[in-house]
Amino acid sequence: MNPLLAYERTITRRTFLGQSARGIGRMGLAALLFPGLVKRPRGPHFAPKARRIIYLFQSGGPSHVDLFDYKPRQLDLHATELPNSVRGDQRVTGMTVNQASFPVVAPNWPMRRCGKHGTWISDLLPHTQTIADDICIVKSMVTEAINHDPAITFINTGSQQIGHASLGAWLSYGLGSENENLPSYVVLLSQGSGKNPGQPIFARLWGSGYLPSRHQGVLLRPGVNPVLYLKDPPGITRGQRRRMLDDLAAMNQKKAEDVGSPETLARISAYEMAYRMQTAVPELTDFSDEPEEVFDLYGPQSRRAGSYAANCLLARRMIERGVRFVQLFHRGWDQHIALQKQLPAQCLDVDQASAALVKDLKRRGLLDETLVVWGGEFGRTIYSQGTLGHPSSGRDHHGRCFSLWMAGGGIRPGFEYGLTDDYSYNVLENPVHIRDLNATLLHQLGIDHNRLTVKFRGLDHKLTGVEEAHVVHDLLL
Amino acid sequence: MVMSATYRQSSRATPDLLTLDPQNALLARGPRFRLQAEFIRDQALAISGLLVPRLGGPSVRPYQPAGLWKEVSHYGSTPATAQTFAQDHGEKLYRRSLYTYWKRTAPPPGMMVFDAPTREVCTVQRENTNTPLQALVLLNDPQFVEASRAFAARLLRTVPETERITYAFEAVTGREPDSEDQQRLEARLAEEIRVFKADPARARAFLSVGASSSPLLEDLATHAAWTVVASLLFNLSETITRN
Repeated sequence: MNPLLAYERTITRRTFLGQSARGIGRMGLAALLFPGLVKRPRGPHFAPKARRIIYLFQSGGPSHVDLFDYKPRQLDLHATELPNSVRGDQRVTGMTVNQASFPVVAPNWPMRRCGKHGTWISDLLPHTQTIADDICIVKSMVTEAINHDPAITFINTGSQQIGHASLGAWLSYGLGSENENLPSYVVLLSQGSGKNPGQPIFARLWGSGYLPSRHQGVLLRPGVNPVLYLKDPPGITRGQRRRMLDDLAAMNQKKAEDVGSPETLARISAYEMAYRMQTAVPELTDFSDEPEEVFDLYGPQSRRAGSYAANCLLARRMIERGVRFVQLFHRGWDQHIALQKQLPAQCLDVDQASAALVKDLKRRGLLDETLVVWGGEFGRTIYSQGTLGHPSSGRDHHGRCFSLWMAGGGIRPGFEYGLTDDYSYNVLENPVHIRDLNATLLHQLGIDHNRLTVKFRGLDHKLTGVEEAHVVHDLLL
Repeated sequence: MVMSATYRQSSRATPDLLTLDPQNALLARGPRFRLQAEFIRDQALAISGLLVPRLGGPSVRPYQPAGLWKEVSHYGSTPATAQTFAQDHGEKLYRRSLYTYWKRTAPPPGMMVFDAPTREVCTVQRENTNTPLQALVLLNDPQFVEASRAFAARLLRTVPETERITYAFEAVTGREPDSEDQQRLEARLAEEIRVFKADPARARAFLSVGASSSPLLEDLATHAAWTVVASLLFNLSETITRN
């Protein structure tokens, strides 16, 4: 802000105070939380196909082998040794690198052909099976990372090394906010039932890196304080708080005029917005206005605040209010051990609500402009970690190929893309690097990933990094 | 450099100075910036008398909302990896913020809101934002509510009644209140006393925030009312601004 202009505004502060009874009501929350967001977005570069993203991040590495990337021939390959020619020079994690044997484990649960195109989807995901015609499954996702921290940092920030801006922060930076009263990037966390605690996640996954901090994701939490410190201290009434803030505003106003401080004027507005947030945020997170059938659709867990299902419903409520990017992180997909027991529990956590979200958006006419993404940081090996068939056995990390699905937002529905070998191990056709995925997500929101850059440490940084990335046009309508 | 006239001049921006040097490129006035995260908390602890100024020792874990570590952490035997945040007690709640334990996967939220770097990568210059989330911390974080209560108790015990407002204002802002400030705070105090006298249970609830055991004063309403006034002073823009 030009301090001269700001100062002149304080001198004729009626222009500022005259807008409403209290003079503070009209600036939006986003304008205050994230000044500059509303005014000067850098994009879009071209007409977007999607306006919003809901990213259902499955943290830990869901088993593409058991859920999506099925080959009937794997039943014959069960218990045979994975050929060296398939494994090749692969970098294997410390968890299985010393195994003497790498026996193939065929999927443990029945797979079923679903929808008009006969898409294979596991019986562990019965609700996802019902949206086969609405989703696009990419079976040829590729990442170089083999462990969680670098892999999850890579897919969320475009680099295995820390310090880069997250996808949501880039979107906020590039497109600004659609709702002045809510953040443009909101993050919701949930724990997995299959493995709890799951692998750790980090504030950096929704961080702003070298972008201004106002673009970082805002974490909403279950309970009485969805935003930290939202609730007044015990014993203080709303009326008391209001009168104290009135005095605070008056004293700050006087000081601002006295010393010519636009920051102090901004702070007065920030306090008013905090006061308004104290009612606006609980309204967003209060599901009491949702009819019974909505809870039936999302499943019983949707009544439990903080569950994945409740977060899916909350995501829909935020999308309705114009939040640009809602990202869920559901933990617990790291099935090294006891896959037989853990994987069904993980699927039960997410299956119904993920499918419900797609159906709900579709019937409300929101799916066309909302891109839903379901996937993790990598997949899992077809070979057994641990003794074949032992209850404690599982699958190790696998980045050479994994599966992910998308729906809405201009993505081709009822479509499968990419082909892997019989072992669901190496990509045979149409690899989609996670850079390509991120380029494609930006593209759908009207952003050319090569043109959305920021100068930092002598480089023009971008989400897709320095290596070549391509929008995957085959996936688009 | 800090002894120079340029550094020590006032940050007051008069219309003349703004016309001559609108961006302060010529250093026509002193710098004005919001205090850093650690200073804001330390200042409240120091003014309230809660601060434990002892030097050195291991990191400490003052108040933070429950569950923040559990949401993101795996198993672990050290605080760096632990799922469960074990809040410290006693003097460890009131050490300088320099000693606050830093878990990088889930840094202390009250400091992050005031632009403390995550400490994952080097930071050349801290950002200096101005957001509603900062207001919520200063108004509602138990650390600041407790500091207001302790400051109020200190005023009630050690400062004669007629001098309290002047003393409190000066302790927080470094200047004397003018008559308008004085009258406004007196009126606020009188009204809060009235409100809390009508509902002593709420006064007691408000005074229960924080672990420090300053014994409740006989007149709960007066103590609670002064706590509101102290909180108001801690929330003034000039309190958290280096002018």
